[in-house]
Amino acid sequence: MSNFKRLNVNPCKMCMPIGAAVAFKGIEESMLLMHGSQGCSTYMRRHMSTHYEEPIDIASSSIDEQGTVYGGEENLRQGLKNLIKLYSPKVIGVVTTCLAETIGEDINRIVADFKKANNVKDISIITVPTPGYGGSQFEGYYLTLRKIVEQLGEKSRNKSSRINLVAANLSPAEIREIKRILDLFELEYTILPDISRTLAAPFTENYSKIPAGGTAVSEIKNMGDAAFTIEFGTLVDSSLSTAVYLEDKFGIPAYRLPIPIGLKNTDQLINTLAEISGKKIPLGLTEARGRLIDTMIDSHKYNGAGRAAVFGDPEMIYAVSSICQENGISPVIMATGTDLDIFQRKLKELTADSRDQNLIFSDTDFEEIRNYVNEYDINILLGNSDGAFIEEKDGIPLIRIGFPIHDRVGASRQQNIGYQGSNNLLDQITNQLLALKHDNYREDLYQKFYHSNKRTKSEKEIEELKVGEE
Amino acid sequence: MKNNNAGIEDVLDEVLQSYPAKSMKNRKEHMLIKDQKKGKHKIKANTRTIPGIITNRGCAYAGCRGVVLGPLKDVVQLVHGPIGCSYYAWGMRRHQGVAAEGGKNFINYTFSTDMQDSDVVFGGERKLKEAIKEAVEIFNPSTIMITATCPVGLIGDDINSIARQAEAEYGITVMAFNCEGYKGVSQSAGHHIANNEIMANLVGIEDKELDYKYPINLMGEYNIGGDAFEIERILEKIGYDIVASFSGNGTADQIKYSHEADLNLVQCHRSINYIAEMFEEKYGIPWLKVNFLGVDATIKALRNMAEYFDDPELKERTEKVIAEELAQIEGPLNRYKELFEGKTAFLFVGGSRAHHYQNVFKRIGIETVVAGYEFGHRDDYEGREVIPDIEMTADDRNIPELEVTKDDKKYNMRISKAKKEELQQKMPLDYYEGMIKEMEDGSIVIDDLNHHEHIKLTEALEPDIFCSGIKDKYTSHKMGIFSKQLHSYDYSGPYAGFKGHLQFAEDIAAGILNPSWSYINPPWKDNVELAGTIGGVR
Repeated sequence: MSNFKRLNVNPCKMCMPIGAAVAFKGIEESMLLMHGSQGCSTYMRRHMSTHYEEPIDIASSSIDEQGTVYGGEENLRQGLKNLIKLYSPKVIGVVTTCLAETIGEDINRIVADFKKANNVKDISIITVPTPGYGGSQFEGYYLTLRKIVEQLGEKSRNKSSRINLVAANLSPAEIREIKRILDLFELEYTILPDISRTLAAPFTENYSKIPAGGTAVSEIKNMGDAAFTIEFGTLVDSSLSTAVYLEDKFGIPAYRLPIPIGLKNTDQLINTLAEISGKKIPLGLTEARGRLIDTMIDSHKYNGAGRAAVFGDPEMIYAVSSICQENGISPVIMATGTDLDIFQRKLKELTADSRDQNLIFSDTDFEEIRNYVNEYDINILLGNSDGAFIEEKDGIPLIRIGFPIHDRVGASRQQNIGYQGSNNLLDQITNQLLALKHDNYREDLYQKFYHSNKRTKSEKEIEELKVGEE
Repeated sequence: MKNNNAGIEDVLDEVLQSYPAKSMKNRKEHMLIKDQKKGKHKIKANTRTIPGIITNRGCAYAGCRGVVLGPLKDVVQLVHGPIGCSYYAWGMRRHQGVAAEGGKNFINYTFSTDMQDSDVVFGGERKLKEAIKEAVEIFNPSTIMITATCPVGLIGDDINSIARQAEAEYGITVMAFNCEGYKGVSQSAGHHIANNEIMANLVGIEDKELDYKYPINLMGEYNIGGDAFEIERILEKIGYDIVASFSGNGTADQIKYSHEADLNLVQCHRSINYIAEMFEEKYGIPWLKVNFLGVDATIKALRNMAEYFDDPELKERTEKVIAEELAQIEGPLNRYKELFEGKTAFLFVGGSRAHHYQNVFKRIGIETVVAGYEFGHRDDYEGREVIPDIEMTADDRNIPELEVTKDDKKYNMRISKAKKEELQQKMPLDYYEGMIKEMEDGSIVIDDLNHHEHIKLTEALEPDIFCSGIKDKYTSHKMGIFSKQLHSYDYSGPYAGFKGHLQFAEDIAAGILNPSWSYINPPWKDNVELAGTIGGVR
């Protein structure tokens, strides 16, 4: 943070384990257990429930004060036993929290001993170290995906033509859109993690304690045989990248692409898929691209008035700033709470042609973002619902994008990717800019042209003027 | 089913069968069926949660920073620890607050030292000191409260001495709370830690001459969904003056002179009864158990208060306000009662709310068939008379007890011993009867309910309404059962007092009478074979 180095005021990030939780929720027949104080799982369940509007069931080993002295091994063992008896999962994720890491719990050893002692053979238990002080949800998410593949992925002799798609933290609807696009290219694929059904479960007659769907263990095992890997993550450190791991370990070519929001980013994905599949781009996609271009042209005169602050998850900021940039909505502020060196460089590159000054912050907080939002006349906020703090204080509208969205419904149905999704998102942004115009233009014009040297005109008179014009 | 306890016993047996033997034995003691004939009921509560079951409980930090301290408007809540704990406690309980005139309001803020790897290794004390300095420079608060997260206690950062130093250096109140998440067995431990610290170092540090006729403190009311606004409205209309609120819509500045009140009203017994006791010991102020949820309970509380102050004018004013308020809501409430008659509710909430809401439901024709607390103690279930019999566990002993003694300068016995004994015959003065006594025979009482038990009991009893929080709201929805959050009110409220009760009835109607429920079953449901292929994903 540039100004206030020691005090974080209204965080623009979460902690590692919540990223791990999102990742594990996309694995078929899985349950997650957080090794630590029970407050962690409770807080994260609460936060994910408001976002997805779904039950989010995460167990805890509930380490207590005694456990901090003697270790939490017995709690973890008992927790695993109860979880298995009550839920019969095929996969259990065991992730650590601040507490477990600070007291130095060796979860790999404990889990190995547990499996041996209880003769556990048909349940995959995956361990991921996610201390809350070790990074943000961004690192927690990508590290977990990598650990899942590291601990499950195998290589058989059968090279397959399947592709791996390692998704960013997208919405269930967006994962469904990715599948639709891959289906259009007639590709066989494994999506990791596949939250399309697990975190957006249809209402059915019989409620299931573990929701249907998710990436199957068998699919993950075969990821080592795939022909290509596409990973949505251009800002992800190679040590956290599943695509890089699969390339290093199994020689699978890796395509690390931005989240396909906006024309350029979607083009990149579609070109890659055409190249990989050797197929012509399906008509449905070229038409959708044409429609997006049509929208961009039709809306450009409104978009040109946009001065945006984009915040949240680094990868999402990159993609959203990208659609802003190509539509003349100036991404004046791009800010994340995650402490990430590459962020500055990548976003500078992205906005190299910008006519405006762009401010890029990592390791920041909402108080700092708010200060710049006001200083630089931002008129639209694009990011997760934590930015509502600024919307409420300063009356600048927020378009809720990404994770988490606490105060509006529909986060799991949000679809901002591909040509169609980008079109949706662009319309939302344009309409918000239009709403600003319609709400204010009479007063603005009055102030600017008609009465510029009579600023003393009372608000009441301006109000009357507005009514009079109707 | 209600009069058939044997049938209910089978339900509980089925719930328990799914557990491994050790867990079954443990959970069995946390549930019972109300049976008047049995006389006393005993339940296990406030003991460790079994690892691996999906509990709804939070941690000590959540109870301290989130519940008790969070609503204090004029305080900079500085969380010493990694970012998550501060982030997750930010604005999440929907406690509200309107700044006093000229006062500060930090309700929209959360502050953190954002501890990193290196801080855990080398200690975070320097970072905390600098964070305090920045908070003072930027926000200029009169009070800073530092709350500890798990790593802090483990690495041994001395937040208490840092608080003392900062207090001397900046001339403001700086308090430290050792509420690491692993302490105790639930958020209840955090309430204790928060309240003890407030009692020891905030209450009574200032004296103030108050020109109040009936000065009272409101305790254990956290202004969820604006409840405190409605309670304050009624109390002020009658003529009471609230000295301090612990802590909904409250300020640290008011708590400093809260010993000037003449009566403490205790809403949530669980989170604050011990503080009310200390007030009596130290300052001579008795406490009255009140419940402002539900008109019947509210009226009872208001009459008891008037009786306590024993002023004919106050009594008359109380009756006038009751009549006025009732006139506005009785008609609609009665109509809702007709609509809801025969419906049942399943309550799992808080350390007092599962009790408080039973009269709210009863008044509108809804019967409570299951009720349980997330973090209640035995006295919240069985009544205060059980306190001497509660065994201290190792977890209880880990939370420092606060001993208070009579403050010779500030002590002032508000009512005589004889008067108190007389009043105790009529009202819960220094007393709480617990939840179980008020429940109907055949209803289930369950402590620390988990995901599995929630599902099993819902399947067996098919309640019309499930009341808990966000974590099990969607499970209930997935089972086709209306759920009303009693932690955050689903962005609605207030539900307290007179107007609140009507608001609650309206919200329940908007929920259970909503036409969308009638579309749950697809039109092809009668064709069993088809339903299996189309609807049955699993």
